[in-house]
Amino acid sequence: MSERRLSGIDVTPLTGVGTAVWYRPDADLPEPPAPADVDGEAELAAFEDARDEAEAELTAERERTAERVGEDEAAVFDAHVQFLTDPQIADGVTERIDDGLPAAHAVEATFDEFVEQFAGMDGKMAERADDLRDVRDRLLRLLTDGERVDLSALPEGSVVLAERLTPSDTAQLDPERVAGFATVTGGRTSHAAIFARSLAIPAVVGVGDALTSVADGETVVIDGTTGDVVVDPDEDTVAAASEGTEARIREDRVETVNGREIEVAANVGTPAELGPAAERGADGIGLFRTEFLFLDRDDAPDEAEQYETYKRAIETFPEGRVVVRTLDVGGDKPVPYLDLPEEENPFLGERGIRRSLGPDADLFETQLRALLRADADTDVGGLAVMLPLVTTVEEVAAAESVLDGVITDLRSEGVEAERPEFGVMIETPAAAFMADEFVTHVDFFSIGTNDLAQYVMAAERGNDAVADLGDFRQPAVLRAIDATTSAAADTDVWVGMCGEMAGDPELTELLVGLGLTELSMSAVTVPAVKERVSEIDTAAATALAERALAAASRDEVTDLLP
Amino acid sequence: MPERVVEVVPEEGLHARPASLFVETANEYDAEVSVGPEGTADDDLVSASSMLAVTGLGVAGGEKLRIVAEGADAAAALDALEELLSTPEDEL
Repeated sequence: MSERRLSGIDVTPLTGVGTAVWYRPDADLPEPPAPADVDGEAELAAFEDARDEAEAELTAERERTAERVGEDEAAVFDAHVQFLTDPQIADGVTERIDDGLPAAHAVEATFDEFVEQFAGMDGKMAERADDLRDVRDRLLRLLTDGERVDLSALPEGSVVLAERLTPSDTAQLDPERVAGFATVTGGRTSHAAIFARSLAIPAVVGVGDALTSVADGETVVIDGTTGDVVVDPDEDTVAAASEGTEARIREDRVETVNGREIEVAANVGTPAELGPAAERGADGIGLFRTEFLFLDRDDAPDEAEQYETYKRAIETFPEGRVVVRTLDVGGDKPVPYLDLPEEENPFLGERGIRRSLGPDADLFETQLRALLRADADTDVGGLAVMLPLVTTVEEVAAAESVLDGVITDLRSEGVEAERPEFGVMIETPAAAFMADEFVTHVDFFSIGTNDLAQYVMAAERGNDAVADLGDFRQPAVLRAIDATTSAAADTDVWVGMCGEMAGDPELTELLVGLGLTELSMSAVTVPAVKERVSEIDTAAATALAERALAAASRDEVTDLLP
Repeated sequence: MPERVVEVVPEEGLHARPASLFVETANEYDAEVSVGPEGTADDDLVSASSMLAVTGLGVAGGEKLRIVAEGADAAAALDALEELLSTPEDEL
């Protein structure tokens, strides 16, 4: 029989081959025994044990997730503990056990009652229903003891198949043992997708109901580059998958076949991601998001706290550059100690540099002081400071004078502050149009393609219905990139890119042809992009870029690509 | 039994973070606290120590809540809960 191909959404450019294991937390429990045969006291004790164990697991997973993925993703476990220990749950379960149900059935019935109540309510309440299901499934796994697949103890080489994977599920997966996973639902920004990228697990999501045709024990290839799940693969497919499992990690810098050096860097959002980025061969950090320092707390971080974090980032890449983006918050993120106004459309409101030069001027100055002190004390000179959401030359000039002021102050205090590389993120059409006016003020541009594509095409990234419009291959997006690189072409200003587009090896040649000399991406894709760079002929890349810029439609651009 | 009717100021209503803080606060005092929308009969009030019960009320911002407390710290508990509910969400 020949292989079957199911297609879904690729989320990591990695390929894995292994044995299918279905994870079905919603599987039906067996019929309960007659009430007379149930030992009430033993069942109650089993429930209490499972609850204690679940709480211990949640606490451990909270820590692990905070460290591996981030504080935002970890916070969900706090809500889980609150539901787990809720007196109404305890009462409901106890009552049902008293009525003669085994613990597992009592847990299922109690939770389902609340799930139903919450699922029927709107918006935010429906999300609570997901949390409750998640806690229910955790308790059921502990109570049924191995009758359900235990994600933390899978045989090596397992490919996990599931309807969906919750934060609790993914936190249990051991990347060393799991060859990949595929889910029926989910999109590129689903929790499972973010998790797969953070931990470099081959994954395909959103396969649809076709995935249920795969049986336990079948051999499957998860092709994270094409988004295919190949069932019962031919020998050639397996060989290709095992061989191409992953590009070799290389720590040296890479250049094209004609010797143009391209810096391949990583995007990070928390200090925990610095080490893994270096391990995967990133030359430096092309985008260090600093929001994590400011969110989920009651007061702004002081200079000393920020200093420690920045110092650690710079020290992780002694030979490389660390591009730190100054605070980028607006009305879409709650920051209790900032007076963020309620706005009709926070993405077009007072955010990013607009706040840093306005109501958050003190915070901006403190952040710059911490950055420059960290740079002075590490003495490796790798710091680059980048401004978010710039649209006018006045903003660039104003930020530059704040920076100069901070340098003067620090020097008068005896700190040997040096002027760091200073640049702006090109993420608005205005910035792309005005790049030729910015060049006299800056050392670099970094094109933030996620927001640039969104603002150029007026299409929201997360909305599947307009995903084709928001595609990086849209000629309008390419022309905005070209406006930026052309503005910098005969100057000393270098142009990089930090956005998902930079991490797609299929687009690397085009980006090199457009004139980018630095590409920054999720750490997971660094090896594949480095490998791709070393195969590129610069002249062919330039010709490709010229043809792509002349294309009238996304389809024409796609046809030009390898 | 001491009781009070308080307007829920956090715009989001009694969900997520405000609800979580409400339950936490209610549990801090030596008092049995029960709640319901304004006008709820005694028998239909739910326990303020249960996140499920409190979120399950589905109380929106601007609505009024009836809070009843019983026990040694009843008055202090009511004061603390009233203060919490009178605080806009971004200052919580």
